[in-house]
Parts: sequence; C-alpha cells; structure tokens
Amino acid sequence: MTVYTCEPNLEAMLSCIYDAWASGKGHRNIRLALEPVGQYSFMDEYIHVDEDSDKARKVMDAVCLKISQHVYSELTYTGMAYEEDALDNIYHVMILGFAYGPNVLDMVHYKDVMRNREIRVRLEKEVCGFKDFTRFHEVKKSVYVAHIEPKSRLLPMLAEHFEDRMPSEHWMIVDDIHKEAVVHPKDEHYYFWKLNDEEFEQLLVTENENDEYTDMWKTFFDSIEIKERKNIACQNNLFPKWKRKHAVEFL
Amino acid sequence: MFDIDNGLSLDEKLAILSDAAKYDVACTSSGVDRRGQKGMLGNSCAAGICHSFASDGRCISLLKILMTNHCSYDCKYCKNRKSNDIPRATFTPEEICTLTIEFYKRNYIEGLFLSSGVLGTPDNTMEKMCEALRMLRTTYRFNGYIHVKAIPGASQELIYSAGLLADRISINMELPTQDSLVSLAPNKSMTTILKPMNQISETIAQHRVAIGKNALMERAGINRHLVNSIFGTDAAQQKLENTGNAYDGNKINSRGDVNNTGRADNDISIPLQKTSTMLMNPAEAIDARLKRPFAGAGQSTQMIIGATRETDLELIRTTQSLYKSFDLKRVFFSGYVPLNEDDVLPSLGTPVPLLREHRLYQADWLLRFYGYQADELLTEENPFFNAQIDPKCDWAIRHLDQFPVEINTASYDMLLRVPGIGPTGVKRIMSARRYSYVNFDMLKKMRIVLKRAQYFITCNGKMLNKIPLEQQFITRCIANDEQKDNLLITQPKEEYHQMNLFTDFAPA
Repeated sequence: MTVYTCEPNLEAMLSCIYDAWASGKGHRNIRLALEPVGQYSFMDEYIHVDEDSDKARKVMDAVCLKISQHVYSELTYTGMAYEEDALDNIYHVMILGFAYGPNVLDMVHYKDVMRNREIRVRLEKEVCGFKDFTRFHEVKKSVYVAHIEPKSRLLPMLAEHFEDRMPSEHWMIVDDIHKEAVVHPKDEHYYFWKLNDEEFEQLLVTENENDEYTDMWKTFFDSIEIKERKNIACQNNLFPKWKRKHAVEFL
Repeated sequence: MFDIDNGLSLDEKLAILSDAAKYDVACTSSGVDRRGQKGMLGNSCAAGICHSFASDGRCISLLKILMTNHCSYDCKYCKNRKSNDIPRATFTPEEICTLTIEFYKRNYIEGLFLSSGVLGTPDNTMEKMCEALRMLRTTYRFNGYIHVKAIPGASQELIYSAGLLADRISINMELPTQDSLVSLAPNKSMTTILKPMNQISETIAQHRVAIGKNALMERAGINRHLVNSIFGTDAAQQKLENTGNAYDGNKINSRGDVNNTGRADNDISIPLQKTSTMLMNPAEAIDARLKRPFAGAGQSTQMIIGATRETDLELIRTTQSLYKSFDLKRVFFSGYVPLNEDDVLPSLGTPVPLLREHRLYQADWLLRFYGYQADELLTEENPFFNAQIDPKCDWAIRHLDQFPVEINTASYDMLLRVPGIGPTGVKRIMSARRYSYVNFDMLKKMRIVLKRAQYFITCNGKMLNKIPLEQQFITRCIANDEQKDNLLITQPKEEYHQMNLFTDFAPA
C-alpha cells in the first residue's frame, strides 16, 4: 500500500488528495495520512506531498462544481479534526461524492459516510465546548488573551464566533497544543499567527495576571451552587476535566 | 422605603445576591439569534451557550443575580422573605452593568439574569431594574442576552420597558393553584401573575405580527411533522383567535385551575378589558427608540414542586395549558429545597424531590418535542409518574398494541414514540431511509439507544433479539436498566477519578 502524507493544513491536504488521485494506483491501494505519522509500517511506501496552491485549487473547484459547495465546506470542516483517519476519510467520501452527487453525506449506509458523520459530530461537540469554556484574561488595559488546549485545530471556528461576539475589543486566542494563535485587533478583521518558541514563552505568562473580576467570578461560581443538590458526577459529565485546564473557576 | 448602603464591597454583594438568586431555575440563554455589531459588545445564539457547570450539575449561562434581596413580601418558601434574618444587600445599576460587561468580556457568561426581591413596592423595584437594563443597553452598549423577571404587581409601562430592553421576560408562577398560593405566598395572587403573563404574551404576538413573523413563537422543527403536537395547527388557530380577542380562549381560569375538557372556559373573573390585554406604552420613550423586539426570546415561568400537594397530572396539565394559552417558551420546575421552618412546609432536611423533578422535565420534553398530550401521559386514577421508568417507556408499555413499529416504514409520529429514539434520531433515520434500508448496525451508529428501543422496533421485519411482547417482562427489563440512572439522580455519589501513582500514593 502507498501512503501519501502531508502537513496538517487545508492546502497541503487538498494537494495530497490531488496527488493520491492522480497516481492511478487504485483507490484500494492507497491511503492518506497527516504528518507526523505515528507508526510507520515496513510494508507500506510513504510519499510526502508538499502543499501546492494550484493542485489545491483544482481539487476545490472539482468538489464545488461537481459535487456541491456544501459538501466542500463539510469536508474541510472534517479536515480540522484530530482523528488519524480524517484525511483518508475525506478522500473516500470525495470519491463517493463524485459518483453520487450532492446528497452523498446522507448516504450513511456507506461506512465512510457514516464515519465522516461521526467525526463531524464529535468535532462539533469539541468546538462547542471551547466556545463555552474559553476564558480570557485581561493582560493590559482592555487587551484580552485566552489559552486553549484542544485536540483538533479549531481556531478558525472560534475566531469566527468571537469576532461576532466582541467586534470592538482587542483579543487573542492561543492554541497551546498546535502553537497557533488568532489575533483580533479592535474593529478589524482577525488574522492567524504561527507562534515561534519565543513568542509562545512570552504568552504563557498571561494567565498569571488574574484581576479582581476573576476572583469575583470564583465567588459567583461557588455561591451559585445549591449544596443540597450536589452532583459531581453530573458536573464531570457536562464539563469534562480535560476541558478545564484553563477554566479559572477550577484553578 | 429603605435604602441601605451598609458598606459592603462588590465581591461581598455578589456573594450575597448570587446566593439569593440561585433558587431561580431558569439559566438559559436560548431563543434568539442576534449577530454582533461594531461598537457594541455581544451577540446571541439561538441554541444558547452554557459557560460553566456548578458542582450541582446545573449550567451557568447567565450572571444570575438579584438586584436586591430586601423584600417586603413574606412568601413562606422563600429564602429572602421579610421575616428571615439574613445579610441583605442591593446592587446599584452601575455595579450590575460593570459586572455583566467585565464577565462577558472574559467569556464567563452569556448575559444577565436579573431578578429582585420586592424593594418597597413592585413598581419601585421594577423601575430600578429597568434603569439598570437601560444603562446596560445604552451607556454600556451591551448586545448580549438579558433575562429579566417581571415583578408581579408592577405597572404595565414598566413591564413593557423591561420587555423591550431584555430578550426574555418571565413571571414566576411558583405554585399552580390559587389555594397553594394563598397558603404559601399571601402577598401574591393568581390574578397578579396571570394578568401580566397574558399581557406579555399578547404583546409578544403583536410585535411578531408587526415585523411579519407568525404570531406564535418558533418551536422545534420536528413539531411540523407531528399531527398530535400541542403546537400544532389547532394551537395556532386558537392563538389567532386569542390575539385581539382578549382572554376568552384561555384555558386557565383565574383560580389557576385547568379546564380539563380542553374547551374554552368563559368563566373568567379577572376584570380585563379587551383593549387592556396588550401592554400600551413603555415607561421611557428611549426604550422604544432602541428598536428592539419585545422579549424576542419569549417568556417563561417556573413552578415549585414538592412544597404543596399538587399531583404530577395537575402540574403537567397546567404546563400544557401555559404553552397553549400563553405561548410560553419554557416552563421550569424547581424541586423544593427546604430553607424555612413552617407548619405548612415540608420539614427542614426533607430531601429535594430530584427524581420527581426529573420526571416532570422528561414529560415537559415529551410535550414540546415528541407530540404527546398531558392526558396521554397520566390519568386521574394514576396521577403520579412512575419512579422506576421514564414517562415515554411507561406510555409505550401501556400501549403495546401499537408496537413493534417497522423502522423502515413508520411515520414521524410513531418513530418518535419509540423509547430510545429522539427528534435527532428520527431525522437521521428519515434521511438514511431515502437511500437504503436501515438496519440495527446503522441504528447503533446513529446513536439510537437500542437498549430501550429493541423491545419496540423491527428492522426489515426482524427484532434485534427474540423478545416476548409482554408488559410485565418489558417493564422488568427496562426498570432494571434504568435503576442505575435513577439512583444517580436520587443519591449522587461522590466523585471517582483515575488513580495516579504520583498524587494518590505520594508520601505525606
């Protein structure tokens, strides 16, 4: 089997799909994976694909024109998930899409489509979780910085959400796992920033700067609980511990 | 009239006034979709966002506070009643605004939930609450979610203002009958609760019609497919007749008793003029100039359960009537937590009726999303929900003649009546059915709870296991499965966690 690998960003993923498709080795004989590959196999041949905007554009156009815009956006959404088989799944759903057209995502009797739906549902849940549980800290007067540690690359979704929520504030969300950040200057459009080690180190200290409102939030959090109804299992179920790493009320 | 500033810091006030507000159940930020705007702070998401979960498992979505916990009423069940000796505090409008804005910017909350004890008179209280909300919307340019409690007995103009400034407005019904209200809340009456509730409902409808929407609030999409739904065509018809037709069609009379026959009850003794059903003018002209819809997310209410002797049937019938007559968006149930000692109340230390509350919420969901009617769930002979199995399973077991249903051919109505299948599951099944036969493997992947559904469905003519369709057998099996869940609700266990070699076994 031949395994095509690429960097985990959209353009590289689409280029990888293009190369895999163009190889002509047969869909059953190839697999796609994101780098870094966890476990290499002796039996497989690994081919690294560099990102190429032409190839990516061709794939994008083909999906948008021959399947639909909606399917394209759902597939790119799948691409943000951390699941190892996400890219491979996108490739196989795309093949089905070219055969069956825009309704392909409803054809859950195909295992790839069902898997795609599972990935999207899980990702949606994760995105919702971080929309809820991201906590900003005021570092200077009216500059807000948040740290998150998500499994998937969900900064684009969070950026969209928080831009609508706080359009006239300076804010920034730092993804500690993938070392990326989204920066939103007041009344302007946000942009993404790949952090180098020095910048990352600098940003790590922002969480130490708790202010009086953080303390008040803790007061509120403690006093709003009804002791007679205590139910930690329910709390853990709804607010899993891995999402609490930066939630100030638990620190 | 008293105005006490006893030198408390903002932090201390917050501790007192959030502690006093926590027995209000509603903490939802749902019902209205609003994009953010440059120069303002906040947006609103129709599905609602929960920002944290307290250790009682309840979501924290809004900054839930009282404006003041001074109260001139003496409701027996309430922590803030006049006769209780507790620390009292009052927020100034500026303090409410600053807290909301600063918390919102840090993504701690989705908006503000503002309630209050009665400070002097209802009008005085409502006026101060409106002042805080007005300041938040204008000076602080807050565009997020606000839920405000209308104080029973406040004047129309103030309630109109509150509705224009907030997204959701609610009046707590607290107790579903006049008799229990007389015994536990002597300062309140059904008239002072139902009259403004009706006025708010009519005003919301008029505002919706004025901007080209349907007079009725939006409901879950699944209701479109349900013939029997309480929000179906007959409810719409009734609302249309009601709008502009005053109080005649409502099924709750002034005593709060529910008309069980389902026919319009004309025995209304609330002195209402036809023109008085809609709120007439806001207290301040500026509120109307903000061009906000009147209570865009609708109105809600809450009822205390376990403090008086109402049956589940009465509660659930009242709930249904509130949805149908006043087009309420939600009815909340609050299991009574004994706080005060009184002859007519359950004694201190009585456990909170958590399981009963849970069953009522399940039934409420069945009304709103599953197309059930209150009278299908309970009967006069059997007016309480089964503690062992949930209302939907209970109904299905009592109607085994309608089962098993074939997944590949059944209608929306029938699929939704299968225990273990919810609105999302039905949508998934329906969309999958268009392209292929659905089998049990697919159902499992669609997150259908086969543990419960297996007794009631067939796929391509076959059941999952060989099961006798007998009431007793199925009841036993399901009760056995649900036993653990019920225990978790009634007796929540202490926290378990993954053991760690370094922290759990570290030398002291």
